[in-house]
Amino acid sequence: MNLCFWGLATIVAAAGCAAVLRSRPVLADRAYGLLVAVGCVVAAAPAVSVLAGGSAADIQIPIPAPSGPWVFGLDRLSAAFLLVVLGPGLASALYGLRALGGDGSRRGVATARALFAVELAALALVVLARAVVPFLVAWEAMAVLAYFLVTFDNERAEVRRAGWVYLVATHVGTLALIALFASWAGAGGGLTFDALASRAGSLPARGALVLCLALFGFGLKAGLVPLHFWLPDAHASAPTHVSALMSGVVIKMGIYGLIRVVSLLGAPPAWWGWLVLVSGVLSGVLGVLWALAQHDLKRLLAYHSVENIGIILIGLGTGALGAAYGVPLVAVLGFAGAVLHTMNHALFKSLLFLGAGATVHATGTRIMDRLGGLGRRMPFTWVSFLIGSVAIVGLPPLNGFVSEWVIYLGLLRGGTAGGSIRLVLLGVVGLAIIGGLALACFAKVCGVVFLGVPRSDAALHGHEVAGGMLGPMFGLAGACAFIGLAPGLAVGPALVVGASIARIPFPASGSEVFAGIVRLGLWSLVLVVLLALGAVAWAAVRRRRSLTRAETWGCGYALQNERMQYTASSFAAPLLAAYGRLAGVHETHAHGGRAFHSQARELVLDGAILPAWSAVRGVLARLRPLQHGRLWVYLLYVIAILLLLLLYLAQGASP
Amino acid sequence: MLPGVAAKTKAVLTGRRGAPLMQLYWDLFRLVRKGAVYSTTTTWIFRLAPVAGLVTPLLALGLLPLDGRHALFGFTGDFVGFAALLALGRFTLVLAALDTGSSFEGMGASRDATFASLVEPALFLSFVVLALASGQLSLEGMLGGTQALPWGAAAPALAMAAASLFFVLLTEASRMPVDDPATHLELTMIHEVTVLDHSGPDLALLLYGAALRMALFAALLVGVLASRGRLPGPAALGLLVAGLLTVAVAVGVVESSMARFRLSRVPQFLVAASVLASLGAILQLLS
Repeated sequence: MNLCFWGLATIVAAAGCAAVLRSRPVLADRAYGLLVAVGCVVAAAPAVSVLAGGSAADIQIPIPAPSGPWVFGLDRLSAAFLLVVLGPGLASALYGLRALGGDGSRRGVATARALFAVELAALALVVLARAVVPFLVAWEAMAVLAYFLVTFDNERAEVRRAGWVYLVATHVGTLALIALFASWAGAGGGLTFDALASRAGSLPARGALVLCLALFGFGLKAGLVPLHFWLPDAHASAPTHVSALMSGVVIKMGIYGLIRVVSLLGAPPAWWGWLVLVSGVLSGVLGVLWALAQHDLKRLLAYHSVENIGIILIGLGTGALGAAYGVPLVAVLGFAGAVLHTMNHALFKSLLFLGAGATVHATGTRIMDRLGGLGRRMPFTWVSFLIGSVAIVGLPPLNGFVSEWVIYLGLLRGGTAGGSIRLVLLGVVGLAIIGGLALACFAKVCGVVFLGVPRSDAALHGHEVAGGMLGPMFGLAGACAFIGLAPGLAVGPALVVGASIARIPFPASGSEVFAGIVRLGLWSLVLVVLLALGAVAWAAVRRRRSLTRAETWGCGYALQNERMQYTASSFAAPLLAAYGRLAGVHETHAHGGRAFHSQARELVLDGAILPAWSAVRGVLARLRPLQHGRLWVYLLYVIAILLLLLLYLAQGASP
Repeated sequence: MLPGVAAKTKAVLTGRRGAPLMQLYWDLFRLVRKGAVYSTTTTWIFRLAPVAGLVTPLLALGLLPLDGRHALFGFTGDFVGFAALLALGRFTLVLAALDTGSSFEGMGASRDATFASLVEPALFLSFVVLALASGQLSLEGMLGGTQALPWGAAAPALAMAAASLFFVLLTEASRMPVDDPATHLELTMIHEVTVLDHSGPDLALLLYGAALRMALFAALLVGVLASRGRLPGPAALGLLVAGLLTVAVAVGVVESSMARFRLSRVPQFLVAASVLASLGAILQLLS
C-alpha cells in the first residue's frame, strides 16, 4: 500500500519534471517517460500481489478537517481497477511523448504532459480513496484535468464546444454524487466508506435514492445511453493519447463507482438490477448501431465505448440480480464478467485509439472515406489495429471473447436457475445483437481504412509511424493476446474480485467455470496453432502452383478506379437501413438527385438536449426586460422586495 | 457432399438430371491443381481467409457430439465459442473481400456482414432454448449424453428452435431464399461475389469451407431433432449421416419451391428466425 503512494509520487514527480525542464525538451521527455514508467510499475506491484491473494491494507492520513480522516485502501476491487488505470495509462503516456510535440510544435506541450501525469495520479486516487471527501476531491481533480487535456487544440471551435459540453455534463454528475453521499451519510456519523457501509441497513427504501443517484451520477461519467451525449465529441476532439485514456480509463471510473456503491450497500433490490441490465442492453445495442453510422474514425471508436459500457453493465446487472435473488454463482459470474470486461475494454480500446491516432498522424484525416490501403503502408499499425478489432468484436483467441464468455455463462446460469431471475436471458439477446453489429462495424473500419486502394492523396502518402508510438501499441496488443491465450490467469482473479463484490465466498458450484476456463484456454491455443499450421501448409501448396499477379477482376470493366470501391457509408448502409430511424442517419439529396450526402446525427444531444435547452432559453428570454441596466429600476426592485418582506413579517406577527 | 445432394434434389424436382452427387469433390480436385491469380491490391489477409474459412468450421465441428455422446473438445459454455468461431471465419472472409478493393466484393462483403449480424440473435436464442431444455451449458451436454432432450415436455419450444436453426442454416450456407448459390449475376448474389477474386487452390478451400459450414449446421440440427445417446456407436453415426442427407434434401426442396427474397426482405426473414427462437425461449421459461 505504501508502495502505491511512492509510485504515485513518482508519477507526480514526472509531471514536475515536464514542467520545470521545459527549456530542455529532449531531456525533459526522457526523464518524464522514465519516471512515469517506474511510477506505474511500482504502484501496480501491490495491486498485483493483492490480486494474487495477498492481504489488503488501509492507511489513514490524519487531516484535521471536519470531514473526518482521509482513509485510503487497497482491496481486491481497487487493485483490479488500479491495474486498469496504470496499464493503459502508461501506454498512453509513452505514446503521447512521441505523438504530441514529436513534430516540433511545442506550444503547450509541456503543460499537457504534466497535466496527463497528474491525471493518472488522480485516477489512481479515485480507486484508492476510502472516504467520501478524498474520493470527491480526486474525482473532481480527474474531471477538471480531463477537461484541460481534451481542449488541448483549443483554437478549433468544435474542440471548445466539446470541452464545454463535457464540463457541464461532468459537473452535473458530480452534483449527483455529492447529493448521493450527503443523503447516505445523513446528519451525523463518519464519512469513511466503512461508516457508510455500516449505515447501509438503515437507509430508507433499501437505499433506493442512493442507487438511483449512483446510476445517474456514475452513469453520466461512464456514458450509458442516454447519458452518453457528451462522450463522442469529447473523445473525438481530444489528442489521441488523451482519447485513449478517456475511453479506456476515465469512463471506467463510473463503473468503479457503481460497483463500489453496490459492494458497500450489499445486495441491491431486484428492480435496480433489472434497471442496470436493461440500460446495459440499450447502451450496447444503440452504441454499436450509432458507431456503425459514423464517418469519423475517432467518433466511431467513441461510440464503441458506449457499446462496451453497455456490455459491462449487462454483466453488472446480472451480478446485481444474482445477489438480489440469492443465486451466488450468477452474482459472482456477473460481477466477475463486468470487472474482466472493464479490464479488457481498457486494453483494446486504448489500443484502437492509439492505432487510429497513428493513421491520423500519418495521413492527417479522420474521415474514413478518404483513407484506404494503409495496411501496406503501415504494416505494424495495421496488425496492432487488427488485433484490437478482433478483441473488441469478442472473437477467439483474444481477450474480448473471454470476458463475453464469462458474462454469457452468468446469464445462462441465471436462466437455468428458478424464479423470476430467469428473465435475465434478455441479456443474451442484447449481447448477440451487439456481437453481430460489432463484427460488421469493425469489418468496415479495417476494410475501409487499411485494405483496398487509397481513396485520397493523403492515404497514398501514408507512412509507418515511429517506434515510440508502435511500442505502446505492441504492449497493449500483447496484453490482449496474453489474456486470450491464458484466460485462467485473468478469469481466476476476476472471479475472486466478483466474490468480494458480492461479499460471499466463491460457491462450490463454480468449479465448472474453472474447468471450463482451462479448456477454453487450450482450445484458443489449438485455434492459433491450427491457423498457423494451415497458413504454412497452404503456402507450401501454393508455391507448387503457377501464381499470377493481375489487377482485381472488374467483371469485364476495364477502367476501375479507387472511387469505385465500397466506402464506409455504403458498407454500412444495408444494415443501417434495417434499423430505420433508430440509426440516426440523415440523408440529403441535392442537384436533382445527382448529389447525395449522408450524415450521422447524435440523437440525444442534437435531437433532444439542445432543442430542449433552446426552448428553455426561449422562455427565459421573455424575462430579459427585467434586466434594464438602469439604476432606478433596480432600486425599485429592492424597495418592492423590502415592502413585500415587511408585509410578510407583519402578517406573521399579527395573529 | 451436402451441396451436391441439395443440387441433385433441386434438379430432380425440376425435372432435370443434374450434376453427379460428387461434383463438388471433382471441382475441388480440379481447382487444387490449378494455378492462382492474385490481385495486385491484395495483402496477406486475402491469403489467410481461405485457411480460416476451413479451420473455423472444422474446429466448430469438434465442439459437437457427432457420435451422440461426446464432443472431440467441449467445455462449459462452448456454444459461445461455436458462434464466435463462425464469426471469426466470416470476419476474415469479409476483410479478404474488402482487400481486393473491388466494388463487387465490397457489395458482397457488406451484405454478408449485414445478414450475419442479423442471424446472430437467432443462433444464440436457439442455444438458449437448448440450454433451458437440457439444463446444460455445453453443446456436448445439450445434444449428447444419455439424457435425451425432453421432447415430450418441451416439444413446442424445441421445434421452434429447430425451425429457427434451419433458417440460420439457410443463411449461413448461403442458400435460397437468402442467397442464390447458382447465379453469377453480381447484383443478386452474396457469397459468390464475396469470393469473386479467389482462384485455384484458394477457391477450393473456400468452397470446401462453405460446404463444411453447411454440414456443421445440419449436424447441429440433427443433434437437436434426434438424440442418439442411447444408440450404439455405429447406429448413431448412421443416423447422423441419414439426418444430414435429409437436411440437404430439405434444403433442395426449399430451393426449388421458392424464389430468392428481395434483398430488403431478407432482414425480415432473419428477424422472423429470431422471433421464432425467442418464442421458443419464452415458452420454455413459462413451463
